[in-house]
Amino acid sequence: MTTKLRSFLSVFTARPIALLGLVYLVTILVFALGANLIAPYAPEDIEPVNRLSPPSWGHWFGTDHFGRDTFSRVLHGSRLALLIGVGVVSFALATGVPIGIISALFPRIGRVLMRMVDVMMAFPSLLLALGLIVILGQSVANAILAIGVIYLTTTARITYGVTLRLREETYVEAARSMGASTLWMIRRHILPNMISPLLVQASFVFAFAQLGAASLDFLGLGAPPEIPSWGNMLAESRIYITRAPWLLFYPGLMIVLTAFSLNLVGDVLRDQLDPRFREMLGNKQRR
Amino acid sequence: MLAYVLKRTGAAIATLVAASIVIFIFIHLIPGDPIYVMLGDEATPEQVEALRIRMGFDQPLYVQYFYWAGNVLRGDLGTSIFFQEPVTLIIRDGAETSLLLACVTMVWIVALGVPVGVLAAIRQGTWVDQGLSGIAMLLASIPTFWVGLYLILIFAANLGWLPSSGYPSIFEDGELSNLRYLLLPSLTLAAPNAALILRLTRASMLDVAKEDYVRTARSKGIRPYRVVLRHILRNALLAVVSAFGFTFAALISEAVVTETVFALPGIGRMVVQSILRRDYPVIQGVILVIVCLYLVINLLVDISYRFLDPRVDLE
Amino acid sequence: MRNSLRNLLSGAALALLAGLAPITGASAETLRYATIGEPPSLDVHMGTATIAATIGQHMFETLYAFDSTYEPQPLLASGEMLADDGRTIVMTLRQGVKFHNGKELTAEDVVASLQRWGEYGARGKLLMANATSVEATGPYEVTLKLSEPNGAWKSMLAFPNGGPVIYPSEIVTAAGGDPIKPENYVGTGPFMFKEWRGNRHVELVKFDDYVGVDAPADGYAGARTAEVDAIRFIPVPDVGTRVSGVQAGDYDYAEFISGDLYGVLKDDASVKIHLSGAPIFGLMFMNSKEGPLADNFELRRAIHTALNKEEALRVSVGEEALWKANGSFYPEGNIWYTEAGTEAYSVGDPEKAKAMAEAAGYDGTPIKLLVSTNYKTHYDQATVFTRQLADAGINVQMVVVDWATLLKKRAQPDQWDMFVTHHGNIPDPILLTALNDSYPGWWVTPEKAALKAKFTGTSDLDVRREAWSELQALMYEQVPTIKVGDVYSYNIASPSLKGLGATTLIWPHFWGISK
Repeated sequence: MTTKLRSFLSVFTARPIALLGLVYLVTILVFALGANLIAPYAPEDIEPVNRLSPPSWGHWFGTDHFGRDTFSRVLHGSRLALLIGVGVVSFALATGVPIGIISALFPRIGRVLMRMVDVMMAFPSLLLALGLIVILGQSVANAILAIGVIYLTTTARITYGVTLRLREETYVEAARSMGASTLWMIRRHILPNMISPLLVQASFVFAFAQLGAASLDFLGLGAPPEIPSWGNMLAESRIYITRAPWLLFYPGLMIVLTAFSLNLVGDVLRDQLDPRFREMLGNKQRR
Repeated sequence: MLAYVLKRTGAAIATLVAASIVIFIFIHLIPGDPIYVMLGDEATPEQVEALRIRMGFDQPLYVQYFYWAGNVLRGDLGTSIFFQEPVTLIIRDGAETSLLLACVTMVWIVALGVPVGVLAAIRQGTWVDQGLSGIAMLLASIPTFWVGLYLILIFAANLGWLPSSGYPSIFEDGELSNLRYLLLPSLTLAAPNAALILRLTRASMLDVAKEDYVRTARSKGIRPYRVVLRHILRNALLAVVSAFGFTFAALISEAVVTETVFALPGIGRMVVQSILRRDYPVIQGVILVIVCLYLVINLLVDISYRFLDPRVDLE
Repeated sequence: MRNSLRNLLSGAALALLAGLAPITGASAETLRYATIGEPPSLDVHMGTATIAATIGQHMFETLYAFDSTYEPQPLLASGEMLADDGRTIVMTLRQGVKFHNGKELTAEDVVASLQRWGEYGARGKLLMANATSVEATGPYEVTLKLSEPNGAWKSMLAFPNGGPVIYPSEIVTAAGGDPIKPENYVGTGPFMFKEWRGNRHVELVKFDDYVGVDAPADGYAGARTAEVDAIRFIPVPDVGTRVSGVQAGDYDYAEFISGDLYGVLKDDASVKIHLSGAPIFGLMFMNSKEGPLADNFELRRAIHTALNKEEALRVSVGEEALWKANGSFYPEGNIWYTEAGTEAYSVGDPEKAKAMAEAAGYDGTPIKLLVSTNYKTHYDQATVFTRQLADAGINVQMVVVDWATLLKKRAQPDQWDMFVTHHGNIPDPILLTALNDSYPGWWVTPEKAALKAKFTGTSDLDVRREAWSELQALMYEQVPTIKVGDVYSYNIASPSLKGLGATTLIWPHFWGISK
């Protein structure tokens, strides 16, 4: 285990900036888990007389137009950022991976499934997400679902491609000719080889989910407005860009740093990837 | 070759039909009612019901679909509930902005993404490469609306160099200079996409550089820049150019947020506004057209790819 | 490939050159007005959207128009005679008034328009439900007969929002209950319809044959002279973009600017503040038909007691010059201003509210508060109220939807317990939505019916004012709706616009304005 961890970290020593990204992500994780303990105020506490006050010792990141503490809200926002990221990645993997594997192993079903994925890919992604949210109603779960659907398709495609490659590999062929069951083959050969490409895919999806969620929030169709997400904070305070610039600056910066760190980590991981799979990942990512 | 083209075209049409059904069902699942939006805050239930029947919304859903699909085949996308105007006209109006914005954005993407990507590849592993790749990744990590808001603040409101918002048609005004309205939006929209093209260019340059024929060329003593230009770039661009197609199609719908920030009369913003107004015919029509555009570009890219590079087997 | 690259590069150069080219906008005589959104139909009879009234008043005219003190003055009418205790109204029309299609206005057009408005119009029923007949009794004379006198008839005929504008009779007859199509937007106003480009603009152009009233302009009344050649109403939903657009000279006028920008814009030389003279006011309606609040007036008063309106106004509007915590439904100085019942307006006492709620038998049932984000003030106010009610132990669940969904949901009594909206200044209390039995909330009580009958049954102003103050007191007792407070919205204009007063009326108008 320690050797594995050491080799994992050695990947990062070649690119120190990526290590910074990793450190940042761990910090965000700590913020998210400990938001209640760290935040000096409750995120929904309003204080109208103290509204729109600039950053100070009492309020590090200033206050918004309700007089709520921006620092506390940014901290709580990291919760939602993680939740959205984890949710979207889980959804995309949980749906995309089985679709991809099944399609690759059973060409007859595969033709239908991949055709359906094609149909979904033909839809403009952001508009698809918007439509889903309007139909299902505004909630965090639905925002996750709406963004997850976008990456379901790319994940399915990647899994499909990787599985096809693996299937062709001689040792798999050999195993099959020896009468191994499909399930055994999936468990023994396909899934273990799938982990690293999927890890790379997951980090990119995580990054783009942040931007997608922020766009939905900005259009007023993401997480319900009463939830302190970074995107909602931006949407709510965009009219204060001249009057109270800190309201736009900090949440925006958090989004950028989070997405940037995830992209850095994903990039480094991809460089370590088996070259057979590298070209399938990253460059043609849908946003 | 012909068989291949026919097969791909057939598949594209099947996808389009499936998509049209999905669009139709989807849109009618949206809660809320266009009639209420039209009649306003103080309409009586009787008024609402009467107008609903006149608009045909009391018919079963499948009847409404076949009616719609039949009209679409005749080139009639229906009439906007909100504007009382043919959807085709509305799309034509928005298309100028959207297509032009996408074109100007593509210019930026190509002008910035490709050369810088080539530079990064040539200087692979140096600080130049790392710096450029890092900047590209940063650009791809910034929410476009955030950039847009700051660009408006700096270049329009404070410096007054460029218009803040809106876009008057260059064809109607006869003013080519109206393109300046698209400068800030296109830069906003180009940033993350140029970053992706940069990375793609760099990656495919490096891939091609590993190919045997490049090594052969090198070993024959051809000068390095000639190797880069004649052999690597030409072949690497094949993959990049195909990505242009998808990027272009994606720009039309990705522009939703940018069009909202800059108040551009494009079709992306039209869809969002129409969703809020429950203007079904407009949403259906616009999404159908975007899907169509995507499929056509997809088809052309596939066919031309096959045409340009017979080694590629696509099915 | 090389060719296509070259083309792309020359395209880039072109774009750069275009960026540097001298700035030449639309011609100087076009006034560009940045609106918050796009109007639904501009058929003024059918809808009550503010933006439709704002645009429509330039094209279409009513028989009467409000002057700057909101007193109705003749516009298309030249005068009237009342008979039969006010049950018979004989109006004479100005002669020689031309429609945009060249036709002269006659009594026949007025009759057809009033009939359609009465049958299908958004506000037509209020007046015309009691009309026994409306007839042309001469080429320029219209007689309206009512079964009961109606003290507010002239205000109703002058109100341009969802009001009885006069269209040519043939257009009205052809349209019936359908919204009139843009190609048939024909009126008598100083501007005429040119085009409506969805998502882009609505453009009106000067009507050269306009025949106006021979009197100085006063409010909406008097002469209406088109000084600019055209007006473009351009939808710019984002308020920040509207502001920077006026600052950058892309628009001449922009509406609905956020209160919090007032402080900055007041001192900005590149814009001129155009403050509204008439307040709009937020309202939180209660469901009188179903749910925990139906008929439980005691619980409603408990809710009201928990609310501190000043906090809600401060948060939602900001700048103190722009709001007033006024419990009366009319601003001070208005003839309908009364303080009856207003001691309960903004108590803000959570402890007392808690005790009252307990006494009312409140058991913690969640109360569904329906609110839309399309209007930021609605959402801000609802957020503050939810917080204040939580302090009083009253469990409110916000249901945040978009405006279209809200309009649909609130028509279904089982979907909500409270919802937030706002209304503009209304010249006569009878036009208040809360007094309309079929408006969502469905406030119908015998006490209300009795007072309403007293209010409408006479044209004696003193009796009507007395009835209104009793009605307002009843609204504080039965709480069909809660008034948030008066908000003075403001618009901004380019400093080069000439002729704008210091304040606007309810709907800004652009006759008599030049640039």
